[in-house]
Amino acid sequence: MFKKLLAALPLTLALALPAAAQDTFPDHSLRIVHGFGAGGNADTVSRILAEEMSKGLGQPVVVESRPGAGGTVASGYVTKQDPDGYTMQLMVGGHAVAAALYNQLPYESVDGYTFISTLGQFPFFIAARSGEYESINALIEAAKAAPGTLKIGHSGVGSTQHLTGELLDLRTGAKFIHVPYKGGAAASTALMGGEVDVIIDTGTVIRGQAEAGVYDILAATSENRWPDSPDVPTVSETVSPGFDVVSWTAIGMPAGVPDDIAGRIRGEVHKALELPEVQEKIGDLGAKAGGSSGEELKALIEGQIAVWTDVIDSAGIDKR
Amino acid sequence: MIDQFLLGLSVVLQPEILMYAFIGVFIGQLIGVLPGIGAITAISLLLPVTFYLDATTSMIMLAGIYYGSQYGGSIASILLNLPGTPSSVVTCLEGYPLAQRGRAGLALFVAACSSFVGGIVGVAILVLAAIPMTIIALRFGAPEYAMLVILGLLAASLIGTGSQIRSFAMVLLGIALGLVGADATTGYYRFVAMPEMADGISLVSLAMGLFGVSEIIRNASRRSPPGPALSITMRDVFPTRAEARSLVLPIVRGSGIGSFFGALPGTGAAIASFMAYAMERRFSRTPEKFGKGHLPGLAAPESANNAAAQTGFIPTLTLGIPGDAVMALIIGALILNGIIPGPRLAVDQPELFWGVIASFFVGNIILLLINIPLIKLWVLLLRVPYQKLYPVIIVMICVGVYSHRTSITDVVLTLAFGVLGYLMKNYRFEPAPVMLGFVLGPLLEDNFRRTMLLYGGDFTIFLTRPISAMLVACSAVLIVLALWSGISAMRKPVHSTP
Repeated sequence: MFKKLLAALPLTLALALPAAAQDTFPDHSLRIVHGFGAGGNADTVSRILAEEMSKGLGQPVVVESRPGAGGTVASGYVTKQDPDGYTMQLMVGGHAVAAALYNQLPYESVDGYTFISTLGQFPFFIAARSGEYESINALIEAAKAAPGTLKIGHSGVGSTQHLTGELLDLRTGAKFIHVPYKGGAAASTALMGGEVDVIIDTGTVIRGQAEAGVYDILAATSENRWPDSPDVPTVSETVSPGFDVVSWTAIGMPAGVPDDIAGRIRGEVHKALELPEVQEKIGDLGAKAGGSSGEELKALIEGQIAVWTDVIDSAGIDKR
Repeated sequence: MIDQFLLGLSVVLQPEILMYAFIGVFIGQLIGVLPGIGAITAISLLLPVTFYLDATTSMIMLAGIYYGSQYGGSIASILLNLPGTPSSVVTCLEGYPLAQRGRAGLALFVAACSSFVGGIVGVAILVLAAIPMTIIALRFGAPEYAMLVILGLLAASLIGTGSQIRSFAMVLLGIALGLVGADATTGYYRFVAMPEMADGISLVSLAMGLFGVSEIIRNASRRSPPGPALSITMRDVFPTRAEARSLVLPIVRGSGIGSFFGALPGTGAAIASFMAYAMERRFSRTPEKFGKGHLPGLAAPESANNAAAQTGFIPTLTLGIPGDAVMALIIGALILNGIIPGPRLAVDQPELFWGVIASFFVGNIILLLINIPLIKLWVLLLRVPYQKLYPVIIVMICVGVYSHRTSITDVVLTLAFGVLGYLMKNYRFEPAPVMLGFVLGPLLEDNFRRTMLLYGGDFTIFLTRPISAMLVACSAVLIVLALWSGISAMRKPVHSTP
């Protein structure tokens, strides 16, 4: 009898332990690490989320900025942390681009992670100075008529904006000159000053100018019209059927986080995303808030890595 | 214009908003004094606070931190040779020698007054000429930037105090350090020893290392560090009449140069202060006095960086385009408040637009008022024995540098640059030209290569665009002047021999 009890003990303990972990998690503060400058969009989204999650988890959630090399410094750091559920990473669309662009990364872009959930998605917009081009069709026709003369300003070599421009070349057969600037703001200045003919960037860079009548938004890069801007046609419905570039933000953790803890975090993220004020703040940053399952996020990232690898190879962009 | 400015004043003079303006400039002043911690760190720490404030108030506070830090930056430069902000590196060149001669109080006074005049001139230009300045700034494309930097490098070729060839070598070293990181045109990594260096060496690391840390090593290696003579009677704080008169033109020139560079997106206060110093020295009748504590050499760059800090808001406010990383943060705060900054800001949100501008005016006055009485207090800092001050300063530098990018690599680099700066000083190489090359080199490369990409490798573009052609002409004149004075200097001894 006693022996039987003793034999059952490890089993009971094994059953009890995860429950205990579930009960006590989290017993100290958590972190959201991101790879961009303090105060940038990634930082802001992290802070909005951190504030709501700390209410739900009953522990402070600290935002930590580890900028460098397009976010890869932070990814290398996070994937080396304990998968105990206390370290999260705010991931962005650039994660898939980096996987395609860098020859060597200090981490596994997919297998190094426990994927939690997407936070939001946003398209890019193609804009020209007001009155220069009637439509995206007119722009592409002009570009085809004089290959290698029209210039697209983008926010840096290897940025999603840059690769979207290259993809536009590949899909439509137009040949633009792709001009790198240091960030979207500098590219926008160049468009205003007449140095480039078009820019591809996020709504936050373009919308203010468009509302003031300085820019015309020619197209959105998402496959379907974006709910915020139902009047803006898409590249897909006009010049390149099936064209679909949507960037995203998401939450990931180091690979090997126990399912129950990952589930708890996922639940908190989804709960935060349902709050109207969180949706509004993320909306102000140009994105549409929306959660997902871990598998959906993984599939999204794998799909984008494939697309960008293809673009980088076809466009002949140097890998790093 | 005046009506609108008065509307702005009525906004900013509300007690609550005035309090936030005060908090902003005060924090700015404070972090400006602390070496290594810059406006970016302070603003991003305070960004969450703005969730609870309205757009106007948060922008007034955050902007205050930015231009307030320009005031504070000069204090540690003058007293300890520690540039609190990158734009106050030049302040070290004349301010620190003055302090060592026992005239720290005077240097602080002149710096505060020059800063004030520069700031007010900047605000005046912002009020009166924001739109024309915007139009000029938009005409500056890649070719113009490239030629502007060449002109700047030529004008500044005299910035070191030692021999020409040594200062030239140091500019090259600075350019080489500026090459570290991803090449902006191709994305290739250059001299990247570890991933943390992929975005380049940080300006803060280099400035803190070459100036601050090296100075500490130098003083620590002396058996008895020479305590600078103290002057804390108010009489020593005020300049004499002749001194004051000699500062009028440098301050005017500095404010002008600063206002111009500030309005160009992508240049900013650091470049403005270097240019103002170089110009002052190039056109001075007594260039030999520079580097030894020459007041005009202190006043011009101080007024320049403060003017630039104000006109730096021109592209931000008129176009909704941030001119640098700090402005991007401030625009981020606006977006979080549901305001999309753009060309319609002045029309749609007049109270915000003019309130913020009026707050600059008020903020500069507050800064002057808190700076003058503090001079005595700051000078007392010099009474603290060096051996007690060093450890504190080193720790503050390390924390400050670390806080920029959360990177230990940056801290190690800062200490390494400190050793380099110490060796350079021992072999009579000046650190200032290194900073100049570091700041201007990448700007030149970036814009030159972009020009080539934009115009299909056509060199004549530099001569066919009017502003660029004008800049080329100015550079040519500078070269001719330098050759002329060189030749006449060689001729003189020939004539004097019988």
